[in-house]
Amino acid sequence: MTIKFIRDHGQHYRPRMACLAKVEAMVLEMQDSKSGVKSSEQKLNITSIPHVVTGQDILAWIANHMKVDAQEAQTIGTMLVAYGFIYPLQDHKKLILKPDVSLYRFQTPYFWPVQKWKADNTDYAIYLAKRNIRKKGTLDVYEQEYYKNLHKWLNHKWDFIVMQAKEQYRAGKERNKADRVVFDCQERAYWIVHRPPPRTHSAMDYGVDRLIDPNAEEVKGEGAHGVRLICLLRVFFRILKHMTTYKDHDPFLAPCLPSNPWQTDDSSYWDLNMRNVEIPTKMRVERWSFSFFELLNDPRGRTDFKVFLKKEFSGENLAFWEAAEEMKWGTASSISEKAQTIFKTFLAPGAPRWINIDGRTMGLTVKGLEHPHRYVLDAAQTHIFMLMKKDTFYRYLKSPVYKDIQKKALSPAPPSQLEQNAQNRKPGINPIIIWQQEEEERAKAAAAAGPIDIKKLMASKLDRK
Amino acid sequence: MNRWRRSVGEIQARRRQVSECEQAQSALSKVTACYQQMATCLGSNTDGSSLREELEETRALAHRICTGMHRRLLALLAETEQVQEDREQVERMWVLFLCALENFQQDLRKVSILQETFPLGQRKDRRALVNTGATGGGSEVAGRAATVQTPWVTTEGEKKPDLKSHVLEIDGLLQEMLQRVNVPLWSVEPTQNAWGEGCGDAQDEDDTLEEIMEVEVVSQDNRASGCCNHSNCKLGCIFCLLN
Repeated sequence: MTIKFIRDHGQHYRPRMACLAKVEAMVLEMQDSKSGVKSSEQKLNITSIPHVVTGQDILAWIANHMKVDAQEAQTIGTMLVAYGFIYPLQDHKKLILKPDVSLYRFQTPYFWPVQKWKADNTDYAIYLAKRNIRKKGTLDVYEQEYYKNLHKWLNHKWDFIVMQAKEQYRAGKERNKADRVVFDCQERAYWIVHRPPPRTHSAMDYGVDRLIDPNAEEVKGEGAHGVRLICLLRVFFRILKHMTTYKDHDPFLAPCLPSNPWQTDDSSYWDLNMRNVEIPTKMRVERWSFSFFELLNDPRGRTDFKVFLKKEFSGENLAFWEAAEEMKWGTASSISEKAQTIFKTFLAPGAPRWINIDGRTMGLTVKGLEHPHRYVLDAAQTHIFMLMKKDTFYRYLKSPVYKDIQKKALSPAPPSQLEQNAQNRKPGINPIIIWQQEEEERAKAAAAAGPIDIKKLMASKLDRK
Repeated sequence: MNRWRRSVGEIQARRRQVSECEQAQSALSKVTACYQQMATCLGSNTDGSSLREELEETRALAHRICTGMHRRLLALLAETEQVQEDREQVERMWVLFLCALENFQQDLRKVSILQETFPLGQRKDRRALVNTGATGGGSEVAGRAATVQTPWVTTEGEKKPDLKSHVLEIDGLLQEMLQRVNVPLWSVEPTQNAWGEGCGDAQDEDDTLEEIMEVEVVSQDNRASGCCNHSNCKLGCIFCLLN
């Protein structure tokens, strides 16, 4: 039969039950004819239905009864609606309490939310089938989706569902018109709480079987599609930009200069691109201009940047950044020592290389340095990085230092001899063949070294004759 | 006994039993639907001792149908040699009966809790009932339930259990049914297609709920003071117009 619940020892239920009991008590107090909420009649074309209340009356009552201000009362009221104890008559899909004359009604206790058992899929299927019987084609798109899925999952029960839906529909018709409207409203409100329309959140959602992912961003209305499209476009353009900038630097897409050492056996490429070479290659220099991160990561670039900063007399930022990196990647035993030196050199008031960070970050960092750990300088380091990136980096790119190195940079041309070498390379001998040859030689040597068989020798000599 | 030698009488008896069970199934459906409709009135302003009595009577009727059907279905399924199409039908009935029992048991549980939360013993309890806007007490529905008859003669004079033990009894019944008969639930093919229930009875006179509620706004435009019975309601009317 339907698997009813998992053995979770009541952990599943406990968080919600106390809250629901309190809300129920409050709703019951609202019913009091003298001290409760004032109700009136809702006039429809065909009939009129009593016990309808306005949003502002509910709010006023809550504010009065619980002695809270209007904002708090609004939140509590919205909670009542979200749980399904009160349902709106206009705009029924939005479960909020509007502080005006919009109309609400109280939900019958049969449809009150219960944490103990979940709103069953079978019941939902019966409800959807009933709506379909009543008038074909009135289900919303998301309801039609549900219907299709339920028809698939509950296929074996489908006869029962249809039969029960028909019977419930007929039973409902026995009641008078006003009561039928009331019951339909109640049922509809119940299912909006427990099977929320798309892009809304059900208040009864809890735990592993949540319907809505709380980490997904909730964007209201049709703007959701536009926002998603814009995000996609943004990502697309970023990828495009990355590809166009790095196209020539990609070792697969562009040939490396002067030549690929693996193919031509010439290691000049590696020599030219060593970490601390005097004169870097043009490609390398070009790469530094792509982003500040690239510049800092390349050791040659970093030294160049240091030269520039020395001219500008603002080398302390980079020094601090390097010191923070050292601390991050260094040994754990040296952390406290490094923290001390960094504090004395960069952060203490009146320090020799005092860095200019905002007061809040400074406060946090100094406080953290009392009990230093690996990442205690992270905030300050990020701040300094952004400072350098936004300001110093662009000045560097325009500076004579950078332009100088661009001019000096080498652009090695591939010598034609090496190309020929690359093409003339023959593939090596298959090791299996070498091994076979060795085996044959070994066998010959063994045969030659062994004792001579006279008979065979005589036989071969006779053959020769 | 060799199935070829089965007498006409036996086949007819079996067919009669199967059709009895089908009638009982639809009767059970009817009764449980009425029970649910009445249960929605519990705790509301239309709640009363008469409603609760009617609930009890309906429950007793359902109990009679259930026990009878349970016995007959077991007997039908226990026979080993059977004709193929018969077996499918009986298995389908079995699965539907299980579903109906489960559904009914859920309603019984809800009713039991509601009856405890809203006792009607004292006068002050009446004030604690929720004003839901309903006016009828569900007695028409009870009347509909009362017209249902079990297709077999009720000679079985079993005592009607009280609510809590009824719930437990159904639990036991379900367990027993699942253990005694080995019918895989997924092997049952439904006779109804998806969306098939829509083309059928009495659609023409019924508007959807949205249409009924919509009319409300239009009519309120015409009547300046009618929309919420409040004295200074001009703002409300503008709101209705905007709606």
